[in-house]
Amino acid sequence: MPGSENTDLDAKLRRVIETIDIGNLLVEPLTRSIEQLLSASAATMGSNEASVLIRDGDEGDLRFLAAIGEVADQLRDMKVPAGKGIAGFVLSSGQPMVVSDVGGEETFYAEVDKATGYSTQMMLATPLRHNDEVIGVLEYINRSGPPPWQPFTPAEMDKAALCADALASLVSAYESAKLFRDLGDRLMSEDSDALVDVRAWLSGVRDTAEHKEMMELALLLRELASRGNAERAMCRELLDAVLRFSDTRSETSFLGY
Amino acid sequence: MTTVTGIEETRTGSQMTFFQLDDEWRSATGRGVSVAVIDSGIDTAHPEINGRVKASFEARVDNKKVVFDPSEAGDSAGHGTACAGIISRIAPEAELYSIKVLGAGGLGDGHAFLAGLEWAVKNRYRVINLSLGTTKPQFFSPLHDLLDRAYQAGCIVVAAANNLPQPSFPSVFSSSLISVIKSEETDPMKFGFHYGQVIELTAPGVNVRTAWPGGGYRNLTGNSFACPHIAAIIALLLEKHPGLTPFQVKSALYAIAQENQEAKATD
Repeated sequence: MPGSENTDLDAKLRRVIETIDIGNLLVEPLTRSIEQLLSASAATMGSNEASVLIRDGDEGDLRFLAAIGEVADQLRDMKVPAGKGIAGFVLSSGQPMVVSDVGGEETFYAEVDKATGYSTQMMLATPLRHNDEVIGVLEYINRSGPPPWQPFTPAEMDKAALCADALASLVSAYESAKLFRDLGDRLMSEDSDALVDVRAWLSGVRDTAEHKEMMELALLLRELASRGNAERAMCRELLDAVLRFSDTRSETSFLGY
Repeated sequence: MTTVTGIEETRTGSQMTFFQLDDEWRSATGRGVSVAVIDSGIDTAHPEINGRVKASFEARVDNKKVVFDPSEAGDSAGHGTACAGIISRIAPEAELYSIKVLGAGGLGDGHAFLAGLEWAVKNRYRVINLSLGTTKPQFFSPLHDLLDRAYQAGCIVVAAANNLPQPSFPSVFSSSLISVIKSEETDPMKFGFHYGQVIELTAPGVNVRTAWPGGGYRNLTGNSFACPHIAAIIALLLEKHPGLTPFQVKSALYAIAQENQEAKATD
């Protein structure tokens, strides 16, 4: 029955949009916040280079989520195999540590440095903990200014642990948001004929500025709807009135759908 | 000569003397004392460690169970080698056993080191150096049981404290193990003991120069580098007094640390 097919498509469409949008709305601002906090904390630690690594899968692998400094772009999304290097140890052990002279030998960091062209000389690494779990590692590399550098001190290790607490909350929120986004992406890649149209339509609109505007409206509506029956009724009336007004002006929807 | 006394006072208020500890342990080398390092493996070819590692094992998952096979994988992270280097420098004739639990694919963090600890207790290594820990509450009870088993088997577990806001296990279990936090002291013999605090022992852990995989050395800071200092001191004590129980070892450490503190006060 064509009517039920449409209803079915509508439901699927709504599900896909909601899932993708919740994820997108949250992930990017969180990534920015993580980088901003990382920059601020690095400044207090007297370091220009810092990175946040998060768990990648269930077997102790790590992935660079955010980085600041000279080679930040190259580090982002780079992977660290389970148990490798200082970050791997910190993740598995939950123990913070400082290495004052990393460079000079065939270690995992030599591999990273080779890939990025950077020279890691000293490092402070501390675990990111959230709800009894170590969810990643926070690293500060080298000091600001020219070497020789003073090693990171025990007091700085304590300070880094505090920064790690704040960052861990953001990273945890990021991971929840990313779950939504991944779910949306998975829905989009489902091998279903019914979603072909949805995919084509969404791929055209999801990156537009108008789309963001629509999502802001959606959030506003959600907030209004949560206030109570009277607010919901008034909201519906207002929107109907806006639609009628829009019809008389013969303008199309800003999404062009 | 150190007089090792009971930590608790008796009903009459006087302290009970347990035994006298002569100073011979200070020149001991840890000969014949087995020390297990549950960590990331050990680079057995490092000049400072070469010939001191009696056996290396590595965790592997087999049909949902953790088994330990002889290992030639060395050290994937550097930490185990660093700890072995510290122990070798203080107790050069201690017999090291590497139990590699980090980097074992398919193993959750807590499960890996729990299995490593169980393996070490089963093999009755006298001293067990544990720089790892967990904050996951589900491991509280199994770890507690395992540490009690270690205590009853005469294995002395030395764990690195975690100086983060949450308590980590097992370092907060004060009864059945020795937990260590870093200090800026550089002389390994001058460790401290803070009776009544959750983490009782303090040992050098700031800018410690020690072995690193590949034959080199690193300057390292962390509680996990304070821990092997105490593991090595215990190996020295056990060489000269092999019959000491875990409780007596802890009492001895307390008494020696008191002397260290008094000596420092008169300096």
